[in-house]
Amino acid sequence: MNKQFLKAGMLGLLVAGWLSQAAMAQSDPTGKRRVTSTYAITNATVFKAPGDPGSKATILIKDGVILGVGSSLSLPKEAKIIAGDSLYVYPGFIDGAGNMGITKPKDVERPKDFVSSNPADEIAGITPWRSASDAYAAVSTQIDDWRKAGFTLSQVVPDGGMLPGKTALVLLGDGKANNFLKLNAALAANYRSSRGMYPATLAGVMAKFRDIYQNTTLVLEHERLFTFTSGVKRPQATPTQTAMMPVVQKQLPVLFAAGSELEIRRALALQKELGFKMILTGLENYESVIGAIKSSGTPVLIKLQVPDDKSIKAQKAEGVTEATKAQYARVKESYDKALKQAAQLEKAGILFGFSTVDAKAADVQKTLKAMMDNGLSQKAAFAALTTNPAAILGVSGLVGTIEKGKLANLVLTTDTLFKEETQIKHVIADGYVFDYEIKKKAVKAETSAKPETASNAVQVEGVWEYTSETPAGSSGGEITLKRENGALGGTITYDDPTGSGKASAPIKNASLTGKTISFEFDVAAGGMSLTVTISGEINGKNMDGSLSVPQMGSFPVKATLSSPSQAN
Amino acid sequence: MKKHIYLIAAFLGLGVGISQAQVQKGSVLIKNATVLTVTKGNLESSDVLVQNGIIIQLGKNLTAPAGVNTIDASGKYLMPGIIDAHSHVGLDVVNEASAPITSEIRMKDVVNPTDMGIYRALAGGVTVSHAMHGSANVVGGQNATLKHRWGSMDPADIIMQDAPRTIKFALGENPTRVHGRGNGIQPRSRMGVEAVIRNGFNEAIQYKKAWETYQLAKNQKGNTTPPPAYSERLQTLADILDGKIIIHCHSYRADEIYMLINVIKDFNIKKVVFQHTNEGFKVAPEIAEYTMGASVFADWWAYKMEVYYSTAFNAAILQKNGALTSINSDSAELIRHLYHEAAKTQRYGGLTDEEALAMITINPAKQLGIEDKVGSIEVGKQADLVIFEGHPLSSYAVPQMTFVDGVKYFDIKKDNNDQRQWVAATEMVEPIFLRANEEAHRCMQDVDAYFEAFQGAFLKEKH
Amino acid sequence: MNRMYKTFCALLLALLPVVAMAQIDGEFVKPRNGKFLLKNATVVTVTKGTLANTSVLLENGKISKVGTNLSSDGAEVIDCTGLFIYPGIIDGGTRLGLVEVSSVPETVDYADVGNVTPNMQALTTVNPNSEAIGVTRVSGVTTVLTVPSGGLFPGTAALINLNGYTPDQMYGGFKAVAMIFPSSGRRGRFDRRSDEDVKKDGEKALKEANDIWDNAKSYLELKKSGATLAYFPEMEQLSKVISGELPLLIEVNAASDIQQAIKWVEGKNIKVIFTGVAEGWRVADEIAKAKIPVVTGPVQELPTRSSDRYDAPYANAGLLAKAGVKVALRTDDEENVRNLPFHAAFAAAYGLGKEEALKAVTINPAEIFGVADQYGSVEAGKRANLIVSTGDPFETRSQIMHVFIDGYRIPMSNRHIRLYQEFLERSPGLKAN
Repeated sequence: MNKQFLKAGMLGLLVAGWLSQAAMAQSDPTGKRRVTSTYAITNATVFKAPGDPGSKATILIKDGVILGVGSSLSLPKEAKIIAGDSLYVYPGFIDGAGNMGITKPKDVERPKDFVSSNPADEIAGITPWRSASDAYAAVSTQIDDWRKAGFTLSQVVPDGGMLPGKTALVLLGDGKANNFLKLNAALAANYRSSRGMYPATLAGVMAKFRDIYQNTTLVLEHERLFTFTSGVKRPQATPTQTAMMPVVQKQLPVLFAAGSELEIRRALALQKELGFKMILTGLENYESVIGAIKSSGTPVLIKLQVPDDKSIKAQKAEGVTEATKAQYARVKESYDKALKQAAQLEKAGILFGFSTVDAKAADVQKTLKAMMDNGLSQKAAFAALTTNPAAILGVSGLVGTIEKGKLANLVLTTDTLFKEETQIKHVIADGYVFDYEIKKKAVKAETSAKPETASNAVQVEGVWEYTSETPAGSSGGEITLKRENGALGGTITYDDPTGSGKASAPIKNASLTGKTISFEFDVAAGGMSLTVTISGEINGKNMDGSLSVPQMGSFPVKATLSSPSQAN
Repeated sequence: MKKHIYLIAAFLGLGVGISQAQVQKGSVLIKNATVLTVTKGNLESSDVLVQNGIIIQLGKNLTAPAGVNTIDASGKYLMPGIIDAHSHVGLDVVNEASAPITSEIRMKDVVNPTDMGIYRALAGGVTVSHAMHGSANVVGGQNATLKHRWGSMDPADIIMQDAPRTIKFALGENPTRVHGRGNGIQPRSRMGVEAVIRNGFNEAIQYKKAWETYQLAKNQKGNTTPPPAYSERLQTLADILDGKIIIHCHSYRADEIYMLINVIKDFNIKKVVFQHTNEGFKVAPEIAEYTMGASVFADWWAYKMEVYYSTAFNAAILQKNGALTSINSDSAELIRHLYHEAAKTQRYGGLTDEEALAMITINPAKQLGIEDKVGSIEVGKQADLVIFEGHPLSSYAVPQMTFVDGVKYFDIKKDNNDQRQWVAATEMVEPIFLRANEEAHRCMQDVDAYFEAFQGAFLKEKH
Repeated sequence: MNRMYKTFCALLLALLPVVAMAQIDGEFVKPRNGKFLLKNATVVTVTKGTLANTSVLLENGKISKVGTNLSSDGAEVIDCTGLFIYPGIIDGGTRLGLVEVSSVPETVDYADVGNVTPNMQALTTVNPNSEAIGVTRVSGVTTVLTVPSGGLFPGTAALINLNGYTPDQMYGGFKAVAMIFPSSGRRGRFDRRSDEDVKKDGEKALKEANDIWDNAKSYLELKKSGATLAYFPEMEQLSKVISGELPLLIEVNAASDIQQAIKWVEGKNIKVIFTGVAEGWRVADEIAKAKIPVVTGPVQELPTRSSDRYDAPYANAGLLAKAGVKVALRTDDEENVRNLPFHAAFAAAYGLGKEEALKAVTINPAEIFGVADQYGSVEAGKRANLIVSTGDPFETRSQIMHVFIDGYRIPMSNRHIRLYQEFLERSPGLKAN
């Protein structure tokens, strides 16, 4: 591909944005607008790309583009100086696949004549025409968190069913600008089945995928016939087929989410059968399937996380039977294997990056350290954060290294990357500079250990959108919480177990202790009434917890505060 | 060479995947066993020589070629690997219960080679199982025939790639409950079940015709016929009509069995095996005349209305009426002792040893279309073998070793308890499953979940 | 075997008066009381060894004599040359008679509403005409414990003989209150509770059980002191366990639950029988030390944990017995209680041994239920519950030739057999007419 052309195209978008801003927003009564978009990081230790031993240089950026890297740059007067003498500069990190800033689309109302065996695509989670850009909000705490961890670019994946839509590449820069670097970067796919309708299982999803793929191929053939021959019936591609066409024509890769070894094998088999371009994402357990990935030549995005060590720490050294010890050994073996996987990918020479889905931004350093303690080289880790995802996403010409002409995405640290005491001082994303406080003492003090202010800082009132994963698939609804005379109460909507649509129930026994919220509601099913309990921890606008049903167990539930009530 | 085979396979339309599976083949000499060949009588104190996964010689005083292990089976019995014609072991999904016809569903897509049920089945001498779609739909998905090559993490390795295609049908209570009573669509009655099948086949005929018309028109000059829509659902039904797929039909009552026989006669379908077939004994002459027989439970009955009027003598009556009959498990528990289930035909109907053993070996092999490869101990067949302490039809029989393709996958003396292939790195306490039996019967698995987690607790029916 | 069976049926027909009525074709064979001499059999007494060429005389519902050269003395003589006599087989835990078709709720009577329902009587609901009874007894199982289930104290179990027209005629002289011990196990694949939740739920349930127990104790103490108490049938029945009048059948399966249950029983001074005990092998020594007898099964069952050896359930009974636990077996089934002899064979093959396995379905349950004076062996003075077979009744190739329950000669027929007789050679066959 013509790199210059691509770059020009992408940047055209951005520049147009600036021009209009420059023309219209001369005054800013908030007083916050930056006075210049030109910066110089002077005399810093610069690591241009993985493998670069680092050298002293000055970097000049303007309007989100690196104008130069070197020791004898002449700096324009409007350049704001960032003294880099004690700083280390790396290319900004790239999230291969994430869901930061993405909101879940609203459930589609089921029509009166809904047929569960043949639902409309939109209801069945098949919405390849959607774009992540339509569900993306450039301002969110998740984006702040990931940027703080050094990430400057993310491929955001739309939420939804088996084919939720197209991904978009977004720069994690200023929230007010147009941040899209590339729309329709890939078609997102996963094994998510539809609740109570076709395709209701993994087997159904596989069949449905084939069906869509083959029929798109045929519609294309029909369109060709229609174009070149007269007297042909008009082709009527469905929105799904139209959106699938670039996939079938192998112009657009499928970003397939596959966590386990079996899921990976299934995706590889489907890809082999149909022949589309594919990127695997969300890999969690892949040790035994590395050979198959390698021989297929598929690039992968592994989860930027390692298994928690709770179970390992809980293993007792004494007072346990031989049988228990044997069990412990199996878990330990599995745990060790999981930590070594990334290193094995490197060894196998597979092109891999990271996905931030399900990962915690605060744990990035810890996660990378665990991977490197288990054999992943610094160079490979560096590449997996920068050049690899740039290559996988097809934007190597724009990002991933520090070079003249590339986008001004940089991470400025207090010491070399991957050192335990190293902290991120600035992140420059899309040419915008974000400053972070450097903690003086031990880095060890984890951010989550910070003492919380009183619980009145926790915002609970308002409308929360929640989803829960049950054996029946995922379901969700809205939780409306409000305080009346000091008591917390409200209503919850949920998928009606006795039919289609939503049912609603009053919330009982609600309480908020610290950041933990818990409440109950009653569900009528099969002539019986069950009391369901939801409890979880609130962090900002997110709630993470569990939904427990008597006799059935607990299931994970997540909620986001979509419209907070104004404090009165 | 490999590429060459691959090209031929592709040319013959055998599909991809044949050459990719790295199937292990073993060589072994088993000596001095009482060999129950099933098809060629019993051989006392005889030897069986296996090379590269194939039985190459039967006889006495055979010597092992260099590098081939010898196993002394003096005083023990050697029989062909047991074949279960109805199982859901090794599957992550059993029912795509969302439509009355789901012939596009492939169980091969959801095979899980790490399912502990596979090892447990091996420990009961079972080397081949027919991993079936469940019985929620009138026409369910296409099944997978598995070879129990335990230890591989790749589903392709345990799928018996050279087995013919089979598909699940289901009549009676289950599909009418799921679709009619559960979702308010046909079928709600056994009349509806017949209608759904006939509608499906007739649509498939139209579908096939549309494609044939298109294929003819396609290369004509000035063609204006666009390609018809693709439907693997209808294509699969068309393949059944073309004799390319064996129907395995979940059925219980005599009337519904007879109904399907009439339907297949009308559509000129020959390849049908009835599954469960609890009232098959009532229409045994018809089953014998028009079908590939029945695969039945040894003694299950009374767990629901349509099996209340059953008899444990079902297999014997079918057999004596000339119907090809096999005994199956449909259960992760029963699959562990199919030799014992087959032995029950001696209590209930006095079948001979050979007849009883055939019901779990060569008969199910015929019903799966793999009788030329497995199901008996004969030269040239695949070396799926089991060594028993005690005659396999004795209630005290204990399987000792199980071989698939000459490779030993189970050895009672070398079983080191924990056979799990995969353990979660975050496992705190291993879960305990009490009364696992109740969940071992998975014909209706995923249906509860399909309806609703909450309601699931009230939908207890199985099989 | 088919021929042998036909001969037997012909024999029965010859023995019975043929009742000819205009609208009724054929005849019905009823269980028959009388005096029978079973001549020249090999008698496996279970308690007194195996006796060759021995005869057994049955009269007045009892085994009156076991010996050689017994005179017929007016008894109906049944030649048992070449055949074997065993005591009637006892299943230590079933739902036989309490359910007809498990998927049809209207026919399911083993569980009622409520967590504490010890006053629910299994014997009340036993259906003497259940098809499953006729199907079961021809297999040689003559006596079963039939047990309610569901909740904490689901009801009171009863020992029944598989012959009779009223529950009272069937009653076998033993009752016990059933308890489902609070479990720390998961209920199945869909039970996704966290480990902590499982533990918490278990603790909560145990506390509840203790509270109910304390309540029953208060009830008993106050009653003993002469207090006038309001009607409270649940406590009335539970107090019978506390006073020692009725034993407690504790259903408990996971290893940690078994340990907990042993602790729970300690100091309560009540009669206890553990049932289920699926993971008993993990804590066999502790059960033996507590001297609590066990009714375990089903034997043909899946292991409780994925990491368990595949044969753990087969081997469980053997390992318990080896540790010194008194073991009886059960099917925990309804329509297929007939498979108990086969469960016993599996236990035998995987460590229990044939002799102990036989005891585990005859004399051991009789002793555990306190009815060994009447059941469990072929001895003079005991109830005439015995079977005559062509060989080892645990072997499928053996045929059970005669079954006697309470001295009644049981017809060797049931619906399964009648369907065989009708359909083996159907008429018309393939072609119409």
